[in-house]
Amino acid sequence: MIVVTEKCVGCATCMLVCPKDAITVEGKAEINHELCENCRKCVNYCPVEAINFLKT
Amino acid sequence: MRIGVIGAGLGGLLSASLLSEMGYRVEVFEKLPFLGGRFTNFNYRGYEISTGALHMIPHGSRGPLARMLKKAGAKVEIVDSKPEGTALYNGEEVKISRKRIPLRSRIAFLAHCVKNWFKEVKLSELEKKLDDFSARYLRAFLGWSFSITPEQTTLSKIYPVYRSILELGGPGVPVGGCRSVIEALVEVIRSNDCEINRQKVSVIRKEGYGFSVHLENRTAKRFDVVISDIGHEETARLSGLKSYAKLEPSRGIKYSIAVKQSFIDHTGVLFTLNTRRISGMNQVTNADPNLGKQNFLMAHQPMLTTNVRFEISEGLKDLKELLKGYDYEILAVQSFSDGWPVNRALAGSDIGCKTPVNGLYVVGDGAKGHDIEVDGIALGVEEVVEEIRKTL
Repeated sequence: MIVVTEKCVGCATCMLVCPKDAITVEGKAEINHELCENCRKCVNYCPVEAINFLKT
Repeated sequence: MRIGVIGAGLGGLLSASLLSEMGYRVEVFEKLPFLGGRFTNFNYRGYEISTGALHMIPHGSRGPLARMLKKAGAKVEIVDSKPEGTALYNGEEVKISRKRIPLRSRIAFLAHCVKNWFKEVKLSELEKKLDDFSARYLRAFLGWSFSITPEQTTLSKIYPVYRSILELGGPGVPVGGCRSVIEALVEVIRSNDCEINRQKVSVIRKEGYGFSVHLENRTAKRFDVVISDIGHEETARLSGLKSYAKLEPSRGIKYSIAVKQSFIDHTGVLFTLNTRRISGMNQVTNADPNLGKQNFLMAHQPMLTTNVRFEISEGLKDLKELLKGYDYEILAVQSFSDGWPVNRALAGSDIGCKTPVNGLYVVGDGAKGHDIEVDGIALGVEEVVEEIRKTL
């Protein structure tokens, strides 16, 4: 599962690159887990390392 | 002579392209899977939305960045804004010219310059002495250009920029947006057989006359000179130096908006003077229609409090009033602070390109020359390239 941490500044780079349009940002990124397919593109593209992938 | 460049933002890539053109062997390292840092764009729902900067170059085709792109052989077309800017004041769009500034405000400005030149007097003191239009314009201009308020700065800090605007003129839009500048630089670097690697640097160690740069994949590379484009603080951390610089970053919020009808009819900035937060907007599709499938507006505001959500709600209220009667959609709300700020140093407080270590330089945001945004970055890079040319 993709988790956004407190480090998020809200720059929305993750939203711009998400292939499933599963991210909205207004001050902080929010993941729509119904649309998210855990591709981790957001994890890799986050400039401040604020997004993690957790095995559940 | 081998030069390592850490970080593929505008400063890093501009340095690498100029030095590779001069015949140095340059290798660039970037931790992220994309190049350009806060100066590039992604296509999002048909609009070229930037990762940070507005699609603008402060002095357009006449400024330091344009000059250095030419020197590097990077082909970028820049559409200079005409007019440079207008202002939305009490519901009317007005031209900005000397005539708009009443004589008494011009005298107040001169008196402020003479009296306070050597003192750290906040610009908000000057603002109090200006007429309503001039005071609001000052605030909007600072918010748009520097993401700061008159309370946060002094005349001596922004004077060099004020001078360069008088001398070099106002902004321009790169055709293709920020990314076209980055792509042109990458082409130059690659054509000179220099590599750009996706690697995260974990340690920069001074060894004898050179450096060893340790990568996260546990390999290390030797360089004679290292140029860092990751800011002074992070550079100090990676090289084990005591933090020699404490910079205060500026924060801001950018809105990307699709509008059905045209909202601005020129290629310059529309400064918004009667708002809570929004300082200005530009309709970038006027300069390059390929930046969006409909009219594409970018609006910017500084952050007056540390509460991001509150700041955004104030900005959105402004946009609702400004765009009343227009069919629009807010595509993206992007806030910039901390590790991904508007500027790593408040306007006029960049600390230059040198570090306590010989042969280790910093370029990019936080190490700008006497100008703003990417034109300031270009001046910083120019200094580093000149230093390297002189010593090696």
